[in-house]
Amino acid sequence: MAVSEVADGWRGRPLAAGGATGLDGAPESMPRAALTADARATGARSAMAAEAATIADGGGAVLSAVDFHLWYPGLHALRGITLDLPPSRITAIIGPSGCGKSTFLRSLNRMNDRIPGIVTQGRILFRGTDIFAPQVDPVALRRRIGMVFQRPVVFPMSIFDNVAYAPRIHRLERTSAGMWVRVERCLRDAGLWDEVKDRLRRPASALSGGQQQRLAIARALAVDPEVILLDEPTSAVDPVATGRIEDTLLRLAGRFSIVIVTHNLGQAARISQHTVFFLGGEVVEAGATEEVFSQPRDTRTEQYLTGRFG
Amino acid sequence: MRTPPARRVRNALAVTLAWVAVCAALFPLLDMAVLVARHALPALRFKVLTTVTSGIAGGLANAIAGSALLVVFAAVIAIPVGVLGGTFVAEQRSGAFVRTVRMAADVLAGLPSIAVGYFGYIALVQALGWGFSALAGALALALLMLPYVVRTTDYAVAAVSDDLRDASLALGVDPTTTVRRIVLRAALPGIVTGVMLGVGVAVGETAPLLYTASWSSFMPTGRLTHSPVGYLTYVVWTYINQPFAAAHALAYAAAFLLMVAVLMLNVAARWALGQRS
Ligand SMILES: Nc1ncnc2c1ncn2[C@@H]1O[C@H](COP(=O)(O)OP(=O)(O)O)[C@@H](O)[C@H]1O
Ligand SMILES: [Mg+2]
Repeated sequence: MAVSEVADGWRGRPLAAGGATGLDGAPESMPRAALTADARATGARSAMAAEAATIADGGGAVLSAVDFHLWYPGLHALRGITLDLPPSRITAIIGPSGCGKSTFLRSLNRMNDRIPGIVTQGRILFRGTDIFAPQVDPVALRRRIGMVFQRPVVFPMSIFDNVAYAPRIHRLERTSAGMWVRVERCLRDAGLWDEVKDRLRRPASALSGGQQQRLAIARALAVDPEVILLDEPTSAVDPVATGRIEDTLLRLAGRFSIVIVTHNLGQAARISQHTVFFLGGEVVEAGATEEVFSQPRDTRTEQYLTGRFG
Repeated sequence: MRTPPARRVRNALAVTLAWVAVCAALFPLLDMAVLVARHALPALRFKVLTTVTSGIAGGLANAIAGSALLVVFAAVIAIPVGVLGGTFVAEQRSGAFVRTVRMAADVLAGLPSIAVGYFGYIALVQALGWGFSALAGALALALLMLPYVVRTTDYAVAAVSDDLRDASLALGVDPTTTVRRIVLRAALPGIVTGVMLGVGVAVGETAPLLYTASWSSFMPTGRLTHSPVGYLTYVVWTYINQPFAAAHALAYAAAFLLMVAVLMLNVAARWALGQRS
């Protein structure tokens, strides 16, 4: 698909035949009513979509925000975010510290629910369903939208058990052989297998920071998510480990929809197909990475990219 | 780079002071251990462990069995209640109920143990009509252990980083399972410390048992009520005041066994924690 087409889809209209199935594959020429009916039929196959009213806005997007606001006590942190995140691609969110990147990312899988005193307004749609609808269970949602955090976090257990932890709870494998296959697959996908295959029973805390971060990615992959959100996953690891993590993400793109918040503009340019520039709780610019970096439309984007603030 | 002389002097001074403090803390402990061991070892024959007390002499079998029974029984009550309560309070973080539980635990910890014993006497022995018994004694001990278990669990669980909770929740694991499988696991060393403290306190208490378990020079009968129970601290407390060498020897032997028991509990707990990681 040509970059310009992607950029067009990015602007809020459904992507032209993106190769994805169901809702995501709805051709943009399809009339709105037909699209909705189609969405309903597709929705019946997905438990969550079946429960909630299906809305066909941003038909090509896996996740979209529609005029989304978030207030911390005394702080209007997100000020009307409208954004479509395309499926099976890497989207980078860039912007200076404190502009709301993490807040937005944590809104996408409702991790912010845990913070007391938060107020939100507007909608976030996951495959057409408003994730704030009363019938949506945030626990089930987070299983489909995984997250990797800035600081590497490992559970106080073995490397193997770190990966097998959530699949065991969700009963994704009936046999221990199945679990071994799953753990190996996820560790391979995360580019960690060769380094840990001989010490799977050793405590995960003995791994280096970069390895711990890839273990966190393997752990997120282990529940078969559809989307993976990463919040500055390489800001706490060295350049070599950063390179490994970037390789991992590039390998995973195509199979998962990936959203990565990064401080590192070079990283955004290297791995993402889409870039979103946040500033002061608003989206200033969003588009194909190539275009945002080479011909930013907004002067503030240009200033940020050339290091004049942030 | 060379360390400036002034800083080296200050370093040496601080290290010396630290060692003095360590010795000041360890000396009374060692002194007491040596004193008890010196008096106890000549008296400790195998027969002491296998025969019951009779008058001011005999053995400690009844007291050993009674102590073990009371402490295990108390622990079985206090540990689950205390760990659950402490975890709940720590996870809730705030609110009127949480404040009330924390205050109640602090008050209970500050209560003189004789008051707990007397409460046990009035409420359990008399009002509920259990008589002097293992059940009344164990409940009184459990009440004494409870605040240690609740507060240390509370601290240990509250100290677990939110990063761990977030990482588990982000996998679509529900909050209750996250607490059970991740938070409690991470907090386990702290919780074990609190349980050890509580068990140690229970092993060493006399006052709450005097009015509830009373004393018996027979082996525990297995009856939970209406059957007094003997225990080691009673022997230490009573026999040391008798004007007979045989009674003193028995008191020191009992004190020695208590010391060894507490030490073994600590070693076992540390070993168990070491095995895990
Ligand atoms: N839990 C919170 N409570 C109150 N304010 C917060 C909280 N988390 C973040 N903020 C504030 O919200 C703004 C956006 O933060 P954040 O989303 O972390 O920015 P970014 O990730 O872009 O650096 C900042 O001003 C920050 O101080
Ligand atoms: Mg951030």
